[in-house]
Order: sequence, then structure tokens, then C-alpha cells
Amino acid sequence: MRKYLARRAVYAVVTLLGVSLSIFVILRVLPGDPLVAILGVEGHARMTKEDRVRIMADLGLSAPLPVQYARWLRDIGAGELGKSFFRGDTVAELIAHRGPITAEIAVLALIVSWIVGLPVGILSAFKPNSMPDGVARTLSVLFIAIPGFWLGMLIVLALLFWFGWKSPIIIVHVWQDPWQNLQIVMGPGIVLGLAQGAYIARMSRSCLLEVISEDFVRTARAKGLREGLVVMRHALPNALLPVITISGVLLGFVLGGSVAVETAFGVPGLGRSLVTAVIERDIIVVQNLVLLYAVIFVVVNVLVDLSYAWLDPRIRYS
Amino acid sequence: MAVRAAEPPVTAVPDAGPRGSVLGELVRFSRRNTLAAIGGLVGVLTIVVALAAPLLAPYDPLKADFRHMNKPPNAQHVLGTDQVGRDTLSRVIYGARTSLFVAFSAVILGTTVGSLWGVACGYLRGRFDLVSQRIMEILQAFPDLILAMAISMAIGTGLQAVIFAIAITRIPFGGRVIRSVALSIREMPYVEAGRASGGSALRIMVFHVLPQCIAPYLVLATTHLGVAIVIEAALGFLGVGVPPPTPTWGNMLADSITALVPPWWLAFFPGLAITLTVLAFNLLGDGIRDTLDPRLSPAFLRMMAGGRRR
Repeated sequence: MRKYLARRAVYAVVTLLGVSLSIFVILRVLPGDPLVAILGVEGHARMTKEDRVRIMADLGLSAPLPVQYARWLRDIGAGELGKSFFRGDTVAELIAHRGPITAEIAVLALIVSWIVGLPVGILSAFKPNSMPDGVARTLSVLFIAIPGFWLGMLIVLALLFWFGWKSPIIIVHVWQDPWQNLQIVMGPGIVLGLAQGAYIARMSRSCLLEVISEDFVRTARAKGLREGLVVMRHALPNALLPVITISGVLLGFVLGGSVAVETAFGVPGLGRSLVTAVIERDIIVVQNLVLLYAVIFVVVNVLVDLSYAWLDPRIRYS
Repeated sequence: MAVRAAEPPVTAVPDAGPRGSVLGELVRFSRRNTLAAIGGLVGVLTIVVALAAPLLAPYDPLKADFRHMNKPPNAQHVLGTDQVGRDTLSRVIYGARTSLFVAFSAVILGTTVGSLWGVACGYLRGRFDLVSQRIMEILQAFPDLILAMAISMAIGTGLQAVIFAIAITRIPFGGRVIRSVALSIREMPYVEAGRASGGSALRIMVFHVLPQCIAPYLVLATTHLGVAIVIEAALGFLGVGVPPPTPTWGNMLADSITALVPPWWLAFFPGLAITLTVLAFNLLGDGIRDTLDPRLSPAFLRMMAGGRRR
């Protein structure tokens, strides 16, 4: 187990180094001139040569590329994430201020997806091909297809039309005013949670059905256990492992989706900052935020893998 | 991650049409997968609408009409008009063009590159495979939408940039799945026979391994169409996709929320178009996967290969 843990950690570090390198290549090398990335082709053409040289030096962009990359990694190690080109606040402040909102949305989405998805999946698997199963499967197919940001727009519009209610668009943290904070994160959390819940319901249904056909379940039934006990006590724990794994994969959807859903709800989370930074071509902010999203995604998936190994003693990693 | 649907065994499905003919196989497929057939039909309809946009659209999608601004759905403008009086129906129809073109190009490009790469990984193995797997892991470490945003920002906004950005996010999926297929095929006796008779690695990959990857390739491509459509729409919605005034479903949604009190028809119809199209392709993909995954039924493979008997 310890050996597996160590190897998994090494892989994660290698992946993250690769991630940082590819972000660097995408944002600094691909556009040719980083100033083109920041200012756009037209903006770049409008500047004088001296201005270009000055700004490049200011941003630390005139050093050779490998040096720039090494400096970036060093700064990350020191917790210095640089400054926004247009707004003057540091990326670290941005993350500290807006990160919690997005984190709450992700956690809320996770909770909603399990609360909604798991019971629906169990209900479906209890009586496959019955009416409730059909309804559940139709709904999950539907919620997988509906883009979260569109659902978010419609909810915002409906609330505005019928109740004249709009969620506050200021940043309020839980520790400041839990009620206002909940109003902010509720919408995106539920919308994202429903879409993930649809995947969870699908996954738990098919896993349960698979486990139910195994021998030990037949034994449980044969010794006269009630069907409810058979499913909840014997089948469910064995069916949950793949559901946990898919939850980790789904975090990628939540992180990516939250960028669009936050915009639809007008929630000032980290995703909104990323969109603004991409539109303004604020390269320093973009590279650090993209890295942050990738780091969270990779770390969570390592944790999921570890929990998998911990929960299922049958799995022997060689 | 194969999400297996435990379907009941299909019993007594009457054979419709002669075996082997394309039409007959299609009918048989539809009987077994009604939902997938409906999905396929809606998908084809959407494609037809996109191709025939100039014939079907009642108005010019770019022409502003200041006498009919912000009109709710009425007899002249069935789906209403936007803030500058452009007809919503025409824009949704032309939007299908851009959105589908981007999604199809991106999926075909990404899945093809990924699959070829996967074949090479699975067949050659060794160091090449090891390095390639790490690269794909790195690509999959990014949430799709975020990677697409970063790439399209770096290579400039525009149709090609968006296609390219979405295509890159599709590469690892193709690579992973097709690699595992190639890994199992390389152990087949006929591949060994090819090697024994002196075929080069390239020749064996192209003539022996690649043909076996067509079925999973089709499943992959269909299931990823929906994802690509949503990513394109999200990019447009966030203002980093195909630049306006080109109508895409995402751009239209972005336009609709710029108003102080957004008109509901501008927010509703483009999103409905996205949902229906994605739903259609997802259902079709699920049906094809259910048909191909369990047994890789020869009848269906023949149908996909154009009805030729092999």
C-alpha cells in the first residue's frame, strides 16, 4: 500500500510538471510573441517599439523562455503568483477572495449529485424496466444533455420574471453572512449537481444491477433476507466503488462547467475571473488560474484512486 | 469508463428486411434501439437544416431591422427578434451551421488524431507508448472547457482556433480507447501471421490493426459530438468562441443576456436547439455503443462498412 501511495504521488508530480510546462507552451510559446497574446494582433501593431520593450521587461517576459519557466515554478514555490496586468491586484489575492465561492459551489454540487443521484439509481435498480425506472432514466438522459449554463440562465430569468428576485452579485463569504452566501452559491451548485447526479444515477443503477446478479447476493436472498436488506447491506457497498471513481472524474465537469454556470448566474467566483482574464488576455492571471484548476483536478483524482485502493481490499496494485 | 447498461435480453425481434442490405440492417437496428433511431433521425434532420439553411431561413440572419426590435414570437417572426431586429428563427437555423460545423470538424480531427496515435501506442508499446500515455494524462488533467479556452486564447479567436481548441481536448479520449483495442488486436494470430510474413510495423498497423478500430472509432466520435457541441456553445456564451456577428447557438445566448431585462425567447430557443441536438447525438451514441460494445455484432459492422460482405 505504501509503495503504491509513493508511486501514485510521483506520477502526480510528474503529471503536474507536464501540466505546468504545457500551460507555459500554450500561453507563452504558441502565440509567438506574448504581447500579441496580451494585446491581440491589432493592439500589438498599434504600439511603438519602445513601449513593447518596456512592457516586456516589466512583465519579466524578455528573459529567455527556459529562464521564464524556471522563474514561474520558483515563484509558485514561494507562493508568489504575480499580478494582473490590467487590475493591479495579485493573483494570490484573487484566489483567496474568490476561490472559496467556487469551492463551495463544487462541494455543493457534489453533495447534491449524491443526494439526488444515488437514491434514484437505487430505485431504478430495484425494479429495472418498471415505470419509475423509465422516468428516472429519461430524466438522467435529459439532464446530461441540458447545458448547465443554459439551465442557469433560464432559472435566473424565471426568478426575475415571476418573483422579481435576483441573487446578490457581491462576494459574501460563509463566515460573513451564511444566508447571503448560500443565496449566491445555491443556484450554480444545484444546477451543476443535477447534471452530475444524472451520471451518478446511471452509474449506480448499472453497477447495482451487475452486483445483484452475483452469487453472494443470491446466497443472501436464499437465506431469506428481505430484498431491502439484500440491496442496501450486501449489494450497495460493492456497487459504490465505481460510483466514487466517477465522482472524481465528474469533478472535471464541475470545474469546467462552473466557469460557464457562474457566468450565467452572475456569481463572482474564480471561474468568472478566469473568463474575464481570458477576454482581457491577462496572461499571468490565466496561466496561474488554469494551473490551479488542473492541480485541484489531479489531486482529487489521486485521492479518489487512494480511497479506491483503501476501500476495496481485493485490488492488489503490483 | 464504460457505463454498461444492463438491458434485458432482446427476445423475438422479428427480422425486418433481408440480412446484409444496408436498409434492412438500419431497420433492424431501429427496432432494437427505438430511442437511438429517433436520436439518429433528429440528428440527420439537424444536419439537413444546417446544410439547407439558405433555403429554410425566412430572413437574413445578419440583417438588422430597426422597425422590429425585441419583438416576441409573432406571425412574421415565429421565434421573435433580437435587440437589433434580427430574426431569431433564421439565426437559430444559421447557428446550426456554425455549431455543427465546428463540432463535427473538431470531433473528426481530434478523434482521428487520437485514434491513430492510440493505434501506434497499442501496437508499438515500449518507450513510445509510455511517453504517449504521460502526454495524454497531462491533456486529461485539464477540465475540457478550461483547456479549450486557454488554447483558443493563445492561437487567436476565430473559427479555426475554436475547432483546433476543441479537437485537442478530444485527443486523449481517442488515444486511450483505441490503444486498448490495438493492444488486444496485436496478440491476434493473424497479426502474428502478418509479422511472420515480413510485414513492416507500419503495414501491419494500417492493414491489420486499423480496420478493427473502425467500430470503436465510430462509437467514440458519436458520443463526443454532444460534448463538442456543448463546449462550442459554452465558448460562444462566454464570449471567447467564434466571434460575432456569425450566429452560433452560444453567441446567441451571450447576446440575450446583454439586455437589462433579457427577452425570454432569445434565451430559450438557442438553448433548446443545443439541448435537442445534444440529446439526439447522445441517444444515437448510446444505441451504437450498446449494439457494438457487447458483441461487436458482424451484421452491424457490415452495415457500417457500407453493406459489403467480408
